[in-house]
Amino acid sequence: MDTEPHPASAEASAHHAPRADSTAIIEIDDLHKRYGTKPVLNGINLRVARGEAVVILGENGSGKSTLLRCINMLESYERGRVRLRGEVVSEGRPIGHHPSRAEKAAARQLRQHLGMVFQRIHLFPHMTVLQNVMCGPVRVQGRPKSQAANIAREMLDKVGLWEKHPCDPGTLSGGQQQRVAIARALAMNPDVLLFDECTSALDPLMTREVLRVIRQLAAEGRTMLVVTHDIAFARETADRIVFMEDGRITAEGTADYILNQRPTDGLQRFLKLQS
Amino acid sequence: MWDYLIHTLSLPALIRASGVTLLLTAIAMPVATIGGLALAGMRLSRRGWLKWPAAIYIEMMRGTPLVVQIFVVYFSLPRLGEWLNTDLLTWDNFTVGVFCLAANYAAYEAEVLRAGLQAVDKGQREAALALGMSESQSQFVVVLPQAFRIVVPPLINDLIAMLKDSCLVYVIGVKELLTVAESIGRAKFIAPQMLVAAAAIYLVLSLACYALGRHLEQRLKVRGAPELHLEQPHGH
Repeated sequence: MDTEPHPASAEASAHHAPRADSTAIIEIDDLHKRYGTKPVLNGINLRVARGEAVVILGENGSGKSTLLRCINMLESYERGRVRLRGEVVSEGRPIGHHPSRAEKAAARQLRQHLGMVFQRIHLFPHMTVLQNVMCGPVRVQGRPKSQAANIAREMLDKVGLWEKHPCDPGTLSGGQQQRVAIARALAMNPDVLLFDECTSALDPLMTREVLRVIRQLAAEGRTMLVVTHDIAFARETADRIVFMEDGRITAEGTADYILNQRPTDGLQRFLKLQS
Repeated sequence: MWDYLIHTLSLPALIRASGVTLLLTAIAMPVATIGGLALAGMRLSRRGWLKWPAAIYIEMMRGTPLVVQIFVVYFSLPRLGEWLNTDLLTWDNFTVGVFCLAANYAAYEAEVLRAGLQAVDKGQREAALALGMSESQSQFVVVLPQAFRIVVPPLINDLIAMLKDSCLVYVIGVKELLTVAESIGRAKFIAPQMLVAAAAIYLVLSLACYALGRHLEQRLKVRGAPELHLEQPHGH
């Protein structure tokens, strides 16, 4: 196994350009994860500053989706830790470890601050669009329905779909569904949005409408981590691009640095294949 | 005709007896469904001490005749009550019948519900957890309502089966439809006619269950279409 050096911290990188203040909101230290004997994450170190839009690029199998899933604890990991606003929210646990009640409660607490948007959307099909968006505020935050409905209205307006609020999610196009899913995540007012290849299942036209919403959120100063294959989107939106290979971050920096200077061989290969 | 139905076939007595049949089923089936849900949850658990007892219970109940189960419960309950020195286990025959039907069908409903729960996309649970829901909220708010929609047809199927299996409690003297029909038939020497009459009533009740099932399916369909099956790019 090669031990390619990588920057010990994002702040050390000369090409790192935090947009808003540079207080790290998410800090990931030395995160390792295996599936069985196959390592998928080999020591990830990453800091995301408040207001920063970080795009994660990489081939299929490079571990970028797994990284997102480890951050909000949909997957456990063996070594390392994740901090949210300086507070340790999860730590590596040996394989087969059953989370204790306290650990589960901590995960639940953590997830309320992280909004996740999935590749396969996962709207709740037995609820209307409005109910989907109200679900978090009502069930998780315990808000009264009237208040939750106001929040939902605001968020559906933001993604341009308020007029669809009484519909079944199944009657919407894929792009519209994904925008509703974004509204559902936003309704919890998360500190960070995690986008897990959220346009990979959509056609180009729908992809564009979803990316427009994400770009708008980035412009508003939302902190986000976006896993995508869309180079053009990364170029336009990313404050910083992180490139992953074989479960490691092998390059990171501004869009210009990553996409034009192409500092590593792997990156050159990847970008050639994508174009 | 009317005279034949009322006096020869003793229709009023049959209808009263079919009330007992309906009551047996109407109590036992919901109990079986709730018990089945608990068993399904246990069987899907990763913890062995939950999983194995459920698996053993399900296979025992499915693998032995209901009549035998009824006899065993009927004869051993009083002994058990004596041994434990309690009156709480002194049940009338109807209660024993309901208990046995529910206990037996719970095993079948457990498997139906397990299939339903497993048929719900795993991503649904993850999406619920990602919103910050607890594990039990993700099950009760998100997964179960969808699983329920899937299992309505097989549950109705079992409801109809139970309606007819309920006649087996005749072995402990519960006066349900078949018992009454048979005893009248024997007394009046018209057993075949009485049995056909009873069968006709079972058929009517089954059709009512079927209608109930259709109604339920329609009502559940109104809100929400099934999850879109989007094309999934290769794993990553």
